[in-house]
Amino acid sequence: MIRRDFSERDIHMALDGELPADERGAYDAWLDTNPEMKARSARFTADREALRSAFAGVLDEPVPARLRKVVLGETPVKTVIPRSRWWLAAAAAVLLVTGGFGGYFAGMDGIGQENPAEDRLAEQAIAAHVIYAAEKRHAVEVPASDKDHLQTWLSNRVGLKLVAPDLTANGFQLVGGRLLPAGDSKAAMLLYEDDKGERISLFVTAESVENAKGTYASAQDGPQAVYWLDKGYGCAVVGSLPREQLAVVAKNAYGQLLAGLAS
Amino acid sequence: MDEKKAAILGEIPRLRRYARSLLRDRDSADDLVQDCLERALMRLDNWQTGESPRRWLFTIMHHLFIDQMRKVNRRGEAAMLPLEAGEAVAQPAEQLEGIASREIIDALQAISPDRRAALVLVAIEGFSYAEAANMLGVPAGTLMSRIARGREELRGLLDDTARRRAIRIVEK
Repeated sequence: MIRRDFSERDIHMALDGELPADERGAYDAWLDTNPEMKARSARFTADREALRSAFAGVLDEPVPARLRKVVLGETPVKTVIPRSRWWLAAAAAVLLVTGGFGGYFAGMDGIGQENPAEDRLAEQAIAAHVIYAAEKRHAVEVPASDKDHLQTWLSNRVGLKLVAPDLTANGFQLVGGRLLPAGDSKAAMLLYEDDKGERISLFVTAESVENAKGTYASAQDGPQAVYWLDKGYGCAVVGSLPREQLAVVAKNAYGQLLAGLAS
Repeated sequence: MDEKKAAILGEIPRLRRYARSLLRDRDSADDLVQDCLERALMRLDNWQTGESPRRWLFTIMHHLFIDQMRKVNRRGEAAMLPLEAGEAVAQPAEQLEGIASREIIDALQAISPDRRAALVLVAIEGFSYAEAANMLGVPAGTLMSRIARGREELRGLLDDTARRRAIRIVEK
């Protein structure tokens, strides 16, 4: 049996079938004497099985006709101009998914920031929601009946082209909006209400330098914030709806906000 | 049908699986496969006899994927896109997905594209380090470190997801 020092690197090699067969015995013995490494190996093994099973079904799906046609030459082969769809989704997935785990990455980089920008945004948004959504008569400064002015005013103050999203598809009507402080800059808050009086708010600020996305709650049973940060702006949707429902409304709102920013 | 085309046809299910692990959304993944097939057919002559069609096709697709990811990042167009992504992510996508699968698929999407590709090629697609390094055009050492970091990141994200399921209480 070959004697050598093993390390975490060998866990990966063993898992991937890259460990020389004659080292396997020594490796297994090493694992047995290192409970921590053994546990790590077990977790990675389980993750691999989960990954494989998550995608196993794809092989059994019928091959889409359009792909067969490409190979069989039934559609003329054109110059490859990447279709928009897949890379749009890819890019978006990066934006939407990656940031949600910002805390983890921060920790990994050894920065260990407990209160990064995304937490700050979410906290400000939740604080604003808690205060103003509870107000019956003074919830907003500019009512929805004056929507054009509301949008122009907030856009000018915040420094972003703001278009109040239409959330009627989710059952929410615009109540109005107000201007708020957000750190050193300003934020726009748009308040919405459904026919049961349930309120959600959108909190938009032009101050953000990072990409992040996630869900945040500052207290048990309190409202939650679904937020996005991108270069140049941050947005949080706050409400006490069930999380899935909030996420759906938030996506709708965010999509429209972005479309508005770009218009 | 000539042999080369038959061989390419036979690889479509594997290409679709790889694309799905890179992009998640089914239609987007199939679009990537279609781009790959179109490019492959234009370059049939580049396919050397004896070379595995799988490795050749995977290499083409990987380059399409990485090129686009880089362009997107450089142009900063990501900001324009979440509408699409919202749809992609919001889709209960694959009905077959259980919660565990969905979590690991989400986590996989969250790791960097380079690490994701390296990990998937080896852990799901079963390529050797040498084969995968060759497809990705990186030295074996780089591939190994991407796999190791990719696995750690993935595990960290899964732990994180579990942690986030419990509502965070901020102490001030």
